[in-house]
Order: sequence, then structure tokens, then C-alpha cells
Amino acid sequence: MKTVVSGLIAGAVALGAGPAAGADPSQEAAASPGEAEVAFDDATVLAIRAGRVLVRPGVSVEGAVVLVRDGVIEAVGSELEVPEGARVIEGAVCCAGFIDPWSALGLDASVLGDQSTDAATRTADGLDPYGVDHLLAEALAAGVTSVRLQGGQAAAVGGLGAVVRLDPQLSATEALVNDEADIAMAVGLSVDGGMQLVQLPDGSYSMISGARAVDPFDRLSQVERVVSKIEEGRSYLEAQVEYRHELEAWELGIAEKLKESEKDFKKAKKARDKKVAEAEEEGEEYKEKKYKEDKKPKKPKFDAEKEALSLIADGVVPLVVEVHRTAEIRNLLAMTARFNRLRLVIAGGSEALHAAEQLAERKVPVIVWPSLRGTERFDEFDGAGLELAGELAGRGGSVLLGSGGRDGSVTRDLPLLAALTVSHGFGREAAFEALTLGAATTFDLAHRLGSVEAGKDADLLVLDGDPLDTTARVRHVICGGREVVHQED
Amino acid sequence: MLETLTVIATLAAGGDRVDLDAPLVGERTTVFRADEVHLGDGRVLDGGVVFVQDGVIREVGVGLEPPTGAHVVEHDGALTPGLVALHGFEGGGEELLDSTRPFLPGADAATAFNPDHPDFTRSLDCGITAVVLSPPASILCPGTTAVVKTAGAVVVSRRAQLVLGLSTSALKADEFPTSYAGALAALDERFSEPKGAFRSALDGELPLLVKISTRSQIQRALGFLTRHRLRGALYGSYWAEEVVDEIKASAFSVICTPSDPGDDGRWARSIAALSAAGVRLGFGLDAPGRHPHCLRFGAAVAVREGMDPGAALTALTGDAAAIAGVGGRLGRVERGLDADLVLWSGEPMDLASEISAVYVDGKRVRGGER
Amino acid sequence: MMITITTAAICLLAGADTENAAPAGQNLAIFADVVYTSTGEVIEGGMVRVRDGKIRVVSKGAPAEDDVHVAAVTAGMIDLSGRILSSRAVEQSNEITPHVRATDAIDLFSVSWDRQLRSGVTCVMISPPDDNVIGGLSAVVKTGGPRSLSARTVKADAALRGAFGSQPSRRNHPAFGRPTDFFSRRPTTRMGVEWEWRKAMYDAIAAASDETRAFAGHERLMQAMRGELPVVAQAWATQDIRTAVFLVEEMAGHVEGGIRLVIDAGAEAWKEPELLVRSGSAVILPPFDHDGRTSDGAFMAWNVAALLAEKGVPIALSSHDARGADDRLAVQGAWARRGGLSFADTLAAVTLTPARMIGVDDRLGSIEVGKDGDLALWNATPFEAGSRVIGVVLDGELVLDPRGGK
Repeated sequence: MKTVVSGLIAGAVALGAGPAAGADPSQEAAASPGEAEVAFDDATVLAIRAGRVLVRPGVSVEGAVVLVRDGVIEAVGSELEVPEGARVIEGAVCCAGFIDPWSALGLDASVLGDQSTDAATRTADGLDPYGVDHLLAEALAAGVTSVRLQGGQAAAVGGLGAVVRLDPQLSATEALVNDEADIAMAVGLSVDGGMQLVQLPDGSYSMISGARAVDPFDRLSQVERVVSKIEEGRSYLEAQVEYRHELEAWELGIAEKLKESEKDFKKAKKARDKKVAEAEEEGEEYKEKKYKEDKKPKKPKFDAEKEALSLIADGVVPLVVEVHRTAEIRNLLAMTARFNRLRLVIAGGSEALHAAEQLAERKVPVIVWPSLRGTERFDEFDGAGLELAGELAGRGGSVLLGSGGRDGSVTRDLPLLAALTVSHGFGREAAFEALTLGAATTFDLAHRLGSVEAGKDADLLVLDGDPLDTTARVRHVICGGREVVHQED
Repeated sequence: MLETLTVIATLAAGGDRVDLDAPLVGERTTVFRADEVHLGDGRVLDGGVVFVQDGVIREVGVGLEPPTGAHVVEHDGALTPGLVALHGFEGGGEELLDSTRPFLPGADAATAFNPDHPDFTRSLDCGITAVVLSPPASILCPGTTAVVKTAGAVVVSRRAQLVLGLSTSALKADEFPTSYAGALAALDERFSEPKGAFRSALDGELPLLVKISTRSQIQRALGFLTRHRLRGALYGSYWAEEVVDEIKASAFSVICTPSDPGDDGRWARSIAALSAAGVRLGFGLDAPGRHPHCLRFGAAVAVREGMDPGAALTALTGDAAAIAGVGGRLGRVERGLDADLVLWSGEPMDLASEISAVYVDGKRVRGGER
Repeated sequence: MMITITTAAICLLAGADTENAAPAGQNLAIFADVVYTSTGEVIEGGMVRVRDGKIRVVSKGAPAEDDVHVAAVTAGMIDLSGRILSSRAVEQSNEITPHVRATDAIDLFSVSWDRQLRSGVTCVMISPPDDNVIGGLSAVVKTGGPRSLSARTVKADAALRGAFGSQPSRRNHPAFGRPTDFFSRRPTTRMGVEWEWRKAMYDAIAAASDETRAFAGHERLMQAMRGELPVVAQAWATQDIRTAVFLVEEMAGHVEGGIRLVIDAGAEAWKEPELLVRSGSAVILPPFDHDGRTSDGAFMAWNVAALLAEKGVPIALSSHDARGADDRLAVQGAWARRGGLSFADTLAAVTLTPARMIGVDDRLGSIEVGKDGDLALWNATPFEAGSRVIGVVLDGELVLDPRGGK
């Protein structure tokens, strides 16, 4: 089977990357023999004629056309006319490109492992998609078009995450879709090094090295730390707001006083002149009356970290907390209940089932990493089977699917893992939503990604069958309006 | 397929245990009707019907009339043979490993079979009805494999394959052999004046399972194996695409090593290339380190890379059984073979398909009443 | 048949190849400002035409625009001490393993092959590492071509490999130490190593007449003593070279023929060159070291190559599978030149002389009609500071294109 991923082969054409970046000038494409021609300049319209277009989760249109121009979906419909000169792609099914909301693809290893991050650390500053061209190509060919990246994966506070498009032809800046997608924190993650005694399923005991579990008291204090960080942000925000009010009040007071003094000016002048004359008569110096001005309110000191934390306190960006154990999840929910603007997202959630109702009530989405683990893993993921996504959804929870945020090469296999959750109780539609509109909505990108609707970015897949059917091949991938993958047999 | 025919002759498929021509007794018969019956050799019967009695498949066809009194299972989806995982350590753990001497051809993996081990439960959950227990390749000849079922404590075949280790794990730093040459010389000796297991291997009665991990090891092994006109399978498929022609010419099968999410794309490309070249394939596991889900996951990754889904299913069923030398009992939905079946909610190679039921020896071991 | 020969003869006489004379097969012409044939002949404005893997024409020629045209062309270089193999190539359960073949451990996918090829070395002799006293049989192998041993082997069982000095004894320890593994054994010193050599030889002589005393590889030792199989033995220091030569002389008294000795890594051969002259031995020099300090306490003088050449000792240069571009065989030539070796002798030391040492000069080592189409293409006069191999032809195929193709 021949796969062409344009941009990796010399001679392919560079196109406008999308609304965020400037359009590249079109060039003559030197397609090598045997390569499917993917060249077209940005004046041309791309038309996808599909047997079925999955517009958004739950809504599909039979025999429809999707028109793409300048990296944006111009129109979707069954009655659309394909304009003259348009490049036409035919396929059985067309849907939005998949989003991996918990990925490490394109992050430098040192950024991922950085433990000294704080809330103001920007993952967008640590992007390195250049060394992983082959992984980007594989992920695209599997249907994943954008990812949320987070530096400081195991740090207490990971900082501001970024959502990035996977087109290997784009520079790190051009690929950025959102550089302040969320703030991440972690609770109860095992620490490298050391040994721990674990009980195997057959009852025997074994010493396992590599990951040292954090003890329950430390884990609880980590939850408290999360809460205190949010509180820091909240009080910083409060201080800002208070300052603005005080400043306003002070300025108002000054203005009023001035007005008053204007009114009494003549009277006051007369009184003063009289006093001056009296003093002169008695041969004394006239002492000017001193008026004290109210102190101007002091502006709260700028603090980058608190500035960032205030974003989560104010609900401007979501807070993603990686947490697994029941006790920590329950404590986290209980202790953050008072922050009424906080948008909480849980990542991992191996034991989230025990707090499923509370999570559903608080509308906290859980990003699940459906992983195939053998018996030799005794860390925070112990107990998380493929049924987790289905079971959480069954109890009313909102579930997203991600690749774990630790190893960039797993992003490519996310669609396969999603299919496995479907065979273990997660609804097909729910899984599709998790991979598309659900992830986009959680990270405030629903106006740009996640569905095939006019006005959104053109991140699209053309497949032979249902997107979650692992035997249905992905034939074309459009990323930011540019065809990046074309696979024929 | 000389080897397969030999095996069928010696095991006398089902006919040994059951008289296939005797009339069916309705009360003891289960009839399966499914939208698609995958026979395990690449063929699919639309609206197929399978009769099972006393744990043996008695009839397979389309439009067959069930005998009176038979219990009928109507399935909305696909029926396939149970999956056969070539190479695994289920339940064996450390019991399978003995590296005291370079040659232990008498070591029999079946003695380490622990049918109550929870590993088998997980394998059944993934539709795997038979596993080939294999000693690890930490010495030149660690023994023989055994084909066991994941339910019912059944040993289908003891001494199914003779294992040879030709990767660096069979070479030592301070014991003989320290070199490939030394290893090959010792093996040459065993096969030049063959006795016991080596004699059987040369006579074609005992296929080999040769464990390798690099391209040059494949070349080296094939050179040795073709010189002695041996038959069997290679275990280890990474980067095999660069030596596809040599593998094809040797008539050796290839057992693909298990795949995890995130594994190097080369693994999948290798398998797709081997399949396209017509090399007979099977999939292996090395549980318990790895979850049995990896078996079908690996097949799905290979399909994504271009392998035909029908060929992938055959590699997990009929071809796998043939490689392990038990093609006369397992791996296909065919008259006379064991009734090890899996019912799927959809296309079997689609990971989104659920397992509706699993039957081993005609008994339902997974799935609800239908 | 007759017609073909006549056509070929006409081509040769004319000195120019005619386009219509070629039957099927890769047909390639290399043009160079200077063609160094290694036979003594130097052709200015020369051309070498290869077809079907062999050199067909060597003459003057003017290149056309698209032709391959470089500053200089030499025969593909030969490295007799490539040292590409890993420790898996030496069977250490016994110190004397004359039957073990280095090719059993070959990894044709190793990146070393490509590295050697792209630096102009078209042929390498691979040997078991010198952890054994007598490690086994070396083979001469091309560094490129189809990835199969049969396609690449020029000469199997080309030499018997062994070592003098301390390396073979390094891992052994006296029996009272830890008797759990086979490293509790002799030899533990260089005297022991020499003892093992001599014992092996005498045992082989005994085995030749008494079947019950046969051991693996004894026939190889007899072949070596009769001079039918060259012996390539590592001996860095003078004392080890001396040991080797004395042993050769001793065994010459017992077996008709006499060992054909090649000293590998003879860094200190400059100290007593008379030993080499009188025994007719050849020397493979190890890579030059900037401060002269090499293994086994041997000191390698800058001018060792020039000195030996002056004495008439056949010398070959080697690179020991150098990773850095600075240490590859082409640059070893530059170091030898700097040490006073003449251009002609340097060229011979990387082409014809090593070919002769192991008996493959019928096919390799010079640019002559009928020999293998293995060429190194240079950007300047070879073995100078700025010169590099920029193209390579192997078995008549342009595997590295100086025009920037491959």
C-alpha cells in the first residue's frame, strides 16, 4: 500500500496553513513518478464528495459535498454545486479530524519531564515538532489532526497547555491553534526510582522497581496544594478587582472634592485674604492651611504565576488535574466546590468510577487513557481497564479519550484504542464525540474544530467506512485546508 | 503445506474421538446461525450455519436444517474460530525458564501448564481459546512447546514444536556458547547425528519454533535451517520486511511478536510486507507481561498498514493452528474440528466489535444466554 | 562467441568504448583528471569503463557534460583489519578455535558496512576479535551489494586469525580465583599465549598422524603450517612480533612449507624490521595515533610505514572500523604520507598490497581490465589534507554519486 504524506517528500507544494498563519505562495509541484498529485494553489477550492458526511456527533448527511477554501470549511450540504476548477476528492465517509486532548507528540523530552514548571510556564514555548516528522506523519495517517500538549507532565503544576495542529510542514508557531488551552496540575503520581512491594493477582508478593507510589498523606497534601493554588489565583483576581473598585472610588472622591472646592472658591479666597491681611497686621507669617489628599490605592504587584492561576479561578481556561485514586478525586471535588467559576477536568481517573455521580453532577469531564496493560504495572493506572470509559459514561459522566500525555508515539494509536473502548461498553457515538467535538468543546475550540460545519477550520478525514471501524482505511486527511495524507492500495 | 497434511494424518481430526458419520442427537446438538461465518481459512459463509455436538463441529454450511430438539443460537454478527495465540507464557512464569545448559530438548512446556492461572481468564476475555506455551529463548534449545486451551484444562498437543534460540539471549558471556559460530556448530552437531527431538525435527514430524530478533539473525537462522532442510516458524518479525524474499524462499512461517500502542511503525510495515509476499503468518504474545488484547490490537495495526482483514483473521486462526501443528483440531470452522468458537457483534478484525460469546469444546465460557 | 571476442578486442585496441558494443548490463564510465591504477601506470585525463561488474576499459578519455568526472580515481580500497564484528564472533569457551568462521557472526545490516563503503573502502577482511589465542577463520567481504553473504563474499576462509601479546589472556584468571566459569584457565600472560600457540601447532601435527588426537580445526592449523592458509596474527609490541617470528621459524623445521605470516597491528614493527625481512612477513599497520601510544605498550612512530617500505617489508594500512571521518582508511593514507611514505607506496598499501597479502589480487587491488569494478573517486589527489572520497563504484555500480545523486 502506498502512502503519500506530502511535505515530507521533496517537491511537494506548501500551502496556506490556515487562518492563523500567512498564506504561502503557491509553487510548481514536482511530483515524483508514482506519487499522487497533491498540488494545488490556495485560490482553488477543495470539494469533498462523500457518501456520508458526519457533520457532528449524531448528525450526518447522505451524499453531501464539503467545500473548503483558504483552510476554512466554506459550506456543507447535499445540494451544493462544485465550483469550476475545484479539486475533487471522493470518498465513502467524511468527518472531522480527531483531536487527542492528552498527548505528548511534538514536545521535547526535557519539556515533558520538567518538574520545575509553574502555572505561568507556557508549553507553547517548548514545542519541538521538528524531530518527529515520521510520528506526525503516522498520526495524521491514522486520522489525528490536532493534539493538546502539556509540558511538565509529572510536575505539581504543569503550566499552560497548547493545542497544536499536526501538519509537519508548519513551523511550531504556525501549528499553534491555542497557546493557552488550559492549566494542568497533577496529584498522586508515582515517583521514579525505588522499590515497592506489591501483591500479584495470584496472591504472591513481588518487589517491583521503577515507580514509587506516593503515600496517602502526601497525596492528600497534594490535593490541598491544588486548592491553595486555585485560591491564590482567586485572591489575586479578587485583589485586582478590588483595586479597580478602590481606584475608581478614589478618583471619584478626588473629583468630587475638586468640584466642591470650585464652588466655594470665592468664599474661600475671601476668607484667606482676610486671614492674610490679619496676619500681616500682626506682623506674623501666614501659615497656609494644609490639606491632606487621600492616598492613591496601590496597584497589586504583578505576579506571572498568579496571573495565570487567576485564569482558572475565573474559568477563563479549564484546569486539568491528573488524579487517579478515589480519595483524591473525592477530596478534590469537595474542596473545589466553592470555586463557582472553576472549570475542572480530570485526566486519568483510574478509580473515577467511585466518584462517578459527583463528577457527573459537577459536570467534570474525565480524559481516559485506554491502555493495554499487562499484569506488571503497579502504579496509578492499576485498575483502569478498557471498560472505564464505558462505565463512566454509563453513570452520566462526560468522557474524553487521550493517549496519556507521556509518549508521543501513542497518539497515532488513539483511534484504535477508542475502538477498543467501544467494544468494552463505550457508545460508538460517544467515542466519536470524545475524539472530535467533545475534546474541542472542553478546550474552548468548538468554534474552530471538532465538526464539519461552515466557518470552522478544515481538519477533515475521508475514510472507507465508519471512523471508529479499524478495518476502514483512512484515504485522505485534510489538515488546515491542506491535503496531508493520501493513501491508495 | 506438506507439514500440515502430515499433522492432520497423525491426529486424525476428530474422527479419532467422535464418529462424524453417526446421526446427530438433537438434545446434544447446538446450532449456530450467524450473518457471517468465517471459516478461518479466508472463506466466509454469508448466513452460515454450524452444527456442534459433544464439543466437535459436525456440519458447516448454508441453509442447513437443524435437527429436532437442537438448541439454536441465532447470532446477529460474525462467528469465527477461537483465536490461537502462538507463543505465550501464560500461567508459566518462571517455571518455563531453565537456562542451566545450552540444550534441554526434553523440557516440555506442558509441565508448566497451570490452567487455573488468572492469565487464562484474561485471554478468554479477548477471544483467545488456545495458547501455545513456549519456553523463553534463553538457551539454544530450551525445549518443546505445548498447545493448551484457555478453558477446560485441556492440553491439545504436547511437544508441538521444538524451540531453538538463535538470538543473542541464547549466547552467554561466560559459558558455552559465547558466539554465533559456537552455537551453530553445536546445533550442526545435534542435527548431523540426530537423536530424539532433533531426529523428529529432521523427519518433519516436529516443526521448529526459532526465536530471533534482528534481521541478521533471521538471515543466519535461515541459512542454517535451509541447510538442514528443516521446517517450522520464526518467532520475531521486527524489520523482517528487509529479508522477505529470503523468508519466502525458506518456506518458514513467521510468528509476529506482540505490539503495544506506540510501537515503532516498522513493526506494522514488516507484517504487511510479509503478508503481501504470501508468507504464512501467525501472531504471538508474551503474556503475562503483556495484555492478551495486544493480539488483536497487533492485527488491527497490521490492517491499518495495509494487511487484508481476512488475511489477518486467518493469521489469528487457521494459519496459527497450522503453524503450531494442530491444524487438524483447531483454528477453523470445519467438520471434525473442535468447537472453539467466538461470536462477534461485527467485523472480527474491527476493534470496535464486541465479543458476544466464546465457546470452548462446545461449552459457552463467555457471554450471555441467547 | 568469436564475434564477441573480436568486438571486445577492437574496443581494447581502439582505446575507446563504442556505445553499440555493449550487451545487457550496467555500463558506466568514470572520467578523472588522473587515474591511479596501482600498477605503476598513471593516466592523465583518463577514463575507466566498467560493465557487468568488471573493468572493461582503462584509457584516456574526455568526459561529456553529464558524465561522472572527478579529480582522481583509484581502485576501491581494501582494509584487512576492518574489525567490524562484535564479541559474538569469538567462541571463548576454548582459546584455540581454528574452525570458527567469522562469517557466522556477520551482520550485513550493520551501519559499519555503509560507513566503510562511503569512505571508499570497497572490501574488508572480517575476523573474530582477538579475545582468543587462535580465533578462527577470516573472510574477505565486499562492503556493499545485495545483502547476502554469498553475494558479498570474495574469499571465504581467507586466513587463520590469532593474536600474540596480552589481549587473549586478559579475561582469564588463575584457577584459584573463581572456578565457576571457563575463564579460570591459562593463559594469563603473553608467555601463556605463546605456549597455547605452540601447543596447538604440535597437537595439530600429532592429529595429522593419529586420528584419536583430532580436535576441531586441526586441519586448518596444518594448512597454515604448510603455507596454504596465511596466518594473520595481531602483535602490537616488538616482543610479540619477535615471538611470532620465532614460532614461525620453529615450526618451519617440523612441517614442509612454512607459515606465511602477516602481522596485524604491528605498531612497533619499526624497531626490529630485520625480523620481518628475514621471515618474509608482511605487516598491517593499525590506525595512526597522535601521540604514538597504542595497545600493549607499543609505541608507533610517525614514520613506521616509510621505514618498513624502505626495508622492503610489504605493508598495508588499516582503520579498525573507525567511527570518525578523520580516522578512516583514506585519512590513514594521509598520515602515512606525512610520515614519509611515498605516494606510490601509500596507494599500494591500501590497494594492491593487501590484495596480494591474502590472495585476492586476481580480482581486486588495481585498475586493470578484467578485475572487479571497484573504484574510489576523489575530489583531489588522494591522501592529502583536503582530499576526500566523493564517489564509489562497487561491482560496476555507482553506489555513491559524486554529482550528488545517491
